[in-house]
Amino acid sequence: MSLPTTPPLARPSRPSWLAIGVGVGAVILVGAAGLLLGAAGIDSIQVVRALLDALPLIEVDNTLTEIQLNVLYEIRAPRVVLGGMVGAILAVAGASYQGVFRNPLADPYLLGVAAGAGLGATMAFAVSGDSSVLAPFAFLGGMAAVAVTYTLGRSVGGRTTTSLILAGVAVAAFATAIQTFLLQRNSETLRQVYSWILGQLVTVGWGDVVGLMPYALVASAVMLASRRMLDVLSIGDEEAGALGINVVRLRWVVVIAATLATAAAVSVSGLIGFVGIIVPHTIRILFGASYRVIIPLSLLFGAAFLMAADIAARTLVAPAELPIGVVTAFFGAPFFIMVLRSMRRSG
Amino acid sequence: MKRTALCGLFVVVVAACSGPDSAATTTSTLGGAGFPTTVEADNGSVTIDQRPVAIISLSSTATEMLFAIGAGPQVMAVDDQSNYPTEAPVTDLSGFTPNLEAILSYEPDLVVITFDPGELIAGLETAGVPVLSYTAAFTIDDVYRQMEALGAATGNSEIAQQANETIEADLAEIVENSAGVGDDVTYYHEIDALLYTVTSSTFFGEIYGLFGMDNVADPADEDGSFFGYPQLSEEYVVASDPNIIYLANVLYGESAETVATRPGWDVMTSVKNGDIVELDSDVASRWGPRIVEFAQSIADGLEEYQRG
Amino acid sequence: MITWDGVSVTYATTRVLGPLSLRVDDGEWVGLIGPNGAGKSTMLKTAIGAVDHEGTVSLSNGKRRPGLDIAWMPQRPQMPDDMTVFDYVVLGRTPHIGYLGSESRGDLDSVETALRKLGMLEFAGRGLVTLSGGEAQRAVLARALAQEAPVLLLDEPTASLDIGHALDVLEVLDELRAAEGLTVVTAVHDLTLAGRFADRLVLLGDGIVRGDGPPEVVLTEDLLRTHYGRGVRVIQDQDGPTVVPTRTND
Repeated sequence: MSLPTTPPLARPSRPSWLAIGVGVGAVILVGAAGLLLGAAGIDSIQVVRALLDALPLIEVDNTLTEIQLNVLYEIRAPRVVLGGMVGAILAVAGASYQGVFRNPLADPYLLGVAAGAGLGATMAFAVSGDSSVLAPFAFLGGMAAVAVTYTLGRSVGGRTTTSLILAGVAVAAFATAIQTFLLQRNSETLRQVYSWILGQLVTVGWGDVVGLMPYALVASAVMLASRRMLDVLSIGDEEAGALGINVVRLRWVVVIAATLATAAAVSVSGLIGFVGIIVPHTIRILFGASYRVIIPLSLLFGAAFLMAADIAARTLVAPAELPIGVVTAFFGAPFFIMVLRSMRRSG
Repeated sequence: MKRTALCGLFVVVVAACSGPDSAATTTSTLGGAGFPTTVEADNGSVTIDQRPVAIISLSSTATEMLFAIGAGPQVMAVDDQSNYPTEAPVTDLSGFTPNLEAILSYEPDLVVITFDPGELIAGLETAGVPVLSYTAAFTIDDVYRQMEALGAATGNSEIAQQANETIEADLAEIVENSAGVGDDVTYYHEIDALLYTVTSSTFFGEIYGLFGMDNVADPADEDGSFFGYPQLSEEYVVASDPNIIYLANVLYGESAETVATRPGWDVMTSVKNGDIVELDSDVASRWGPRIVEFAQSIADGLEEYQRG
Repeated sequence: MITWDGVSVTYATTRVLGPLSLRVDDGEWVGLIGPNGAGKSTMLKTAIGAVDHEGTVSLSNGKRRPGLDIAWMPQRPQMPDDMTVFDYVVLGRTPHIGYLGSESRGDLDSVETALRKLGMLEFAGRGLVTLSGGEAQRAVLARALAQEAPVLLLDEPTASLDIGHALDVLEVLDELRAAEGLTVVTAVHDLTLAGRFADRLVLLGDGIVRGDGPPEVVLTEDLLRTHYGRGVRVIQDQDGPTVVPTRTND
């Protein structure tokens, strides 16, 4: 029996090898640059030598002092890794939300995760002034906000996307109002909270990486597994239901995974905006609109994007720092416009 | 007859002694500047008609200054953050979110502030209450100026002058006692755990400068775009390995222990040798008479550093 | 076999459908006709649980797994602009692939077969937004066929098709029905076309069955005038009844 011949386009969309290659390459290159560059005034060549020396079976001399090696391995390296993890999480969560809500403006921030996490952080500062309780408070705040948004959206407006997003906007406004009130009454915490709100990867270590890892892995796995389902959702709840999808349950699963990962990332790195909107959209324009393409590529390009932004944040005005949220907004927005225009021109 | 004459003389003498120019002079009339008087503040020239006896201070630094220049008995109410000196009459008036009506309900005859969120000065002027606004000092000379102005405004010019001279002398003595130990010693002054700091161009930087110390943060704000308060990159702080770390954020939970546990900080010489100074958060954020205490903390840190 | 038993649908306080009882046997083709608003789409939606209803809809195998046992094509399908035709038709295989699975060789073959039957194979790589109305409708049908369900509920499957394509498509359905014993219920506006292909026509008016039988019995001038509100002419010949619009004869 002869094998049936397959016409060239008769396969479901998937990321091309080129796209994956570029993504992986970007992560490796930007990650390496992140290890070589920084404000500590360490010679890049010596860093290369030190890294090579650290590999088993290779012996290379380098002139780094104990302190410089410490900076490299305990401060710079975890920051690069964490930047990559947070970038990947924010991008893939944004893409997942866009798929689940069929809305190009959807991302975890829209459902109140940002505002809830901000409120949690403010309460942490106001109550104890101790930065170690910050992460759990922000995390709880983010999850609580999404839970309220979801309950409100369903009970008030039925099951439509619009009602959900409107509820998210209302919850975010409410949380922000409470936060402002608390800030007014505890004005000494003002500066600390605003730094945190602008996003910071300033004082992170391997402990943060290890802490974030389980959330990042589990949530990314769930979102990756659901990418085909997100394509099914794009034809509407009614038709997706007719194809056997439990739409409500799918939405719950994806939203919980995306929100969990986002709240965990936000509680470590503060609020870093733009990543969840810009990265998925750019991928959509460059590589294709199927979520089978967008979800995996968002992980790769989100990581590369935020690592690059972090390099800028800590080298542009070195030895001073720029808040990374400012960098992502400043560089992300024009980049997106450029990509949009070039795609329009080429048809 | 003789007794009556003696009594009468006695009465006349007593009456003469209790006249207006009696020995019970208040120091406010010494030094010359009586009332009305005009003093300079950040909100311009302000005329004060009479010696104020119902002063409200909405600035913790101004409170310290007022009590240091002998105006304590004239202070009627201070804001909720004015925790020094302890005898200051604290109320729940707020310096950051001032309520005009609440302030006026005390019927003050002088209000001293450091921050006007919007209409406070205008509101007080409309109500006919003189208001003096003094924002944070940029230099040590600003401290003396503000003390002097408050002295004139409260009728305590001579005490104010003496207080200034004392501060100046104390500072000089502390610096002299440290005998040049501070020359070229590097330091990092931490404002918060996100590594915000001051450069030597700031007020507190100037005090460190009296000891000849070098601030590791200076390269981060050479052009002043951060106004002296940059946020430093962590790897830079660690790599620059300052001789002494001064913590101004103890109020927010930082301490020598927490700094030592920061990932990557344990190899710094200041951490290994325990040269981490926990400053009093209030002293490290106010520009009043307690800058002497601040200077003493710096000197203590230097002494500890020198001892090794 | 698919059976509606005592089914009714109420929106707010208005009853839009029912009570309705109807049985369609295996391999039967029922054409659902009736004026706008008669409840045809609603009736089809009750079968897949897309609308709350009283009464039950059941199949011969006792199950009613959406997608696997019933394939439904909506009147106004949502078609994402930037999806390819192939990806769109592949969605029809969703009920056969688990949450975590991906398309097998067999799935891809089903998709290919469906595309070929509807003459859409050369459109496989095109984006949905580039299709004409007729091409898009055939893509939706291909998706429904790719599901390979024994019961097909199609809401206006030929609305955007020209007469040639409409005949092609309906003939494909007829062949499939014969070859695989599919049960087909189609809601169609074109009464003549309905009569040509369906074994049986069911006329709905105001949510209730007003006529049920072979085309020549249901397509009568009286019945049509009563429920459509206008007079028409019905010509009977060897092909069956032909409904002709007329401006006289009201």
